[in-house]
Amino acid sequence: MRGIGLSNSVAIEVQQLTKRYGELVAVNAISFTVNRGEIFAFLGPNGAGKTTTVEILECLRKPTSGKAYVLEFDIGKNQREIKKRTGVLPQDFYTYERLTVRETIQYYAGMFDARPDVDELIRLVDLEDKKNVLFRNLSGGLKQRLGIAVALVNDPEMVFLDEPSSGLDPKARHGVWHLIDGLHKKGKTVFLTTHYMEEAEVLADRVGIIHNGKIVALDSPEGLISEHGTRNLLILRKTSPKAVLNIEKLGLKAKYDGATGDVTVHLNHAVGVSDVLHALSGADVPFGELQLKRSSLEDVFLNLTGVSLGEEESSI
Amino acid sequence: MSHVVIDLKASLRSFWRDKSTIFWTLAFPSVLILLFGAIFSQSSMRYDLYVQNQDLTDGKPTYWSGTFTTVLNSTNVFNIHMVDASVNGTDYALANRLSSLLIIPSGFNASANMAFFTHGATTANVTFVYDQSTSSAPVVQSIVMSIVDKLNFELSKGVEYLAVEDLTIAPKRFGFIDFFIPGVIGMTAMTTSIFTSVSISARYKQNGIFHKLATTPLKRYEWILSRTIYNVLISYLGMAVMMLMGMAIFGMKMTLDAVSLLMVAMASLMFTGLGMIVARFVKDPDGADAAANVITFPMMFLSGTFFQLSQMPQFLQTIAQVLPLTYVNEGLRAAMIFGQTQQAIMNTALITVLGVVSIVVGSLITKWEED
Repeated sequence: MRGIGLSNSVAIEVQQLTKRYGELVAVNAISFTVNRGEIFAFLGPNGAGKTTTVEILECLRKPTSGKAYVLEFDIGKNQREIKKRTGVLPQDFYTYERLTVRETIQYYAGMFDARPDVDELIRLVDLEDKKNVLFRNLSGGLKQRLGIAVALVNDPEMVFLDEPSSGLDPKARHGVWHLIDGLHKKGKTVFLTTHYMEEAEVLADRVGIIHNGKIVALDSPEGLISEHGTRNLLILRKTSPKAVLNIEKLGLKAKYDGATGDVTVHLNHAVGVSDVLHALSGADVPFGELQLKRSSLEDVFLNLTGVSLGEEESSI
Repeated sequence: MSHVVIDLKASLRSFWRDKSTIFWTLAFPSVLILLFGAIFSQSSMRYDLYVQNQDLTDGKPTYWSGTFTTVLNSTNVFNIHMVDASVNGTDYALANRLSSLLIIPSGFNASANMAFFTHGATTANVTFVYDQSTSSAPVVQSIVMSIVDKLNFELSKGVEYLAVEDLTIAPKRFGFIDFFIPGVIGMTAMTTSIFTSVSISARYKQNGIFHKLATTPLKRYEWILSRTIYNVLISYLGMAVMMLMGMAIFGMKMTLDAVSLLMVAMASLMFTGLGMIVARFVKDPDGADAAANVITFPMMFLSGTFFQLSQMPQFLQTIAQVLPLTYVNEGLRAAMIFGQTQQAIMNTALITVLGVVSIVVGSLITKWEED
């Protein structure tokens, strides 16, 4: 039976969810909602509790306390219903080594008693020329793409993607992003855990940041940057320390890097790039080139948690 | 049930594509059979034969009893051990846990002379007392029978003057290969099932396949059922290959009956369950392989697969009595080779009980995900 009182527009509702492992509190009374049809990104540093949370929502772990509903079904009571309606791409997707791409999709379709158009799924993840290749012979990026196809065999209402592009090279990563964007356009709800800021920023409609088992911020990427980000940065290449003096006269903060000869300028709403350039031109201060750097989720994350997410983050 | 069939098909397809698994499951035991069969089928393997000659005159063997004993000794197949004529032969065999004892009864000489005089209208009989639960007794019995047949042929060109009494099985010609092949079938059922359970469980846990399966509607018991059926089918495949080899290359005669098929299935069930229990306590694939080896190697060598239990020191024979593979091997030999249906059924019943217990315990403690 579906949960009572949940709006049809809500795909996930989490209420005071807590998970303890002995003395360790992995998830500490978190509450949030995910709307239907949106891409929701869950970000967190090492040990923050994001994988524990997603595995509870996938009905793989039992919470210590709290409630959660997925597609209006209670995770404690309606696990079979939830599994039938969701697709999961686990972190580092792996399956039977000696089944081909096509056989793998057919195998998991059978587990859901589903009859998808296998060729269409293979086309969707762009594996047509690999459909008869054994899983063990696929590259990491192709394995992840197959994992996404497998997550779609039951035509799920929502998809959990746990670190979908982890460990992939930039080209393969962008290929996976393209697929996720395609899911979004098909109207699927996507719950994404990632430690790639750019991934969340490019793909997500809303982002939840979890730190030490608690959600510290939840908003759209633009909202988070606007609320918690630093101002945009202007970088002047190969200039001189004199630039700093002239820029500071405009009421801006600037810093000279003696090693590179670069000056980094923290812009604000009152003073724009043209004002800086005009001041430098008037003072006859030369510079090689300039770069405008937008404030990103990385800055938001750093501001909120005091931790920088490296490329090799892992999760519990 | 459809999930079981789908998983089973995937497993069999993977097996067929895994050359390493095919080697260890089919080719390796076949090579063992070829090597051991070629070596020991031609060798002069000796068996212990206890003989009690009750047909004495003034404490010395009569002509025919002495001749018979000399013929037995001249075959170089037996290490002959003489038993005091004054003791009760059957009691002696029981007290000393002999696998077999040949009794030449008092009056044997006179009976043999009468057989000659009547040209086979009567016979001179010897009594073969044996323990049906041992694997060597039927082999010894078979050899004694063939010696008696040969003696009859030389004495009378075929008329039976001498006979062996108290036989409960049809006379067959047994050799090392008859002993060996059922043992290899039992061993293959064990290694296939244990390694599949322990190693696959550890690998699937580590590389996340269990994690992925847990997100589908597939139930844990469906997966376990599929894997158990897979192990039984692979064990049957091994059994078929080895039987065909035995018959085609070594000219063996084997019986494939319901009891032997049930024994292989129950052995697979038992070792699958045992493997699942072990898998619960190993952390990674390397540890799984080591744990599987720790279980299978002692059983392989101590359960009468390669050597008869009676050829092993007494303390190893005692250990063998608590190893389940011993009962699998003895049961298969009883069913397939020696025609000892009663012993085969008893062993199969024991393995069935152990199989059900181990698969239930294994299923209950197997987890795809930690809470």
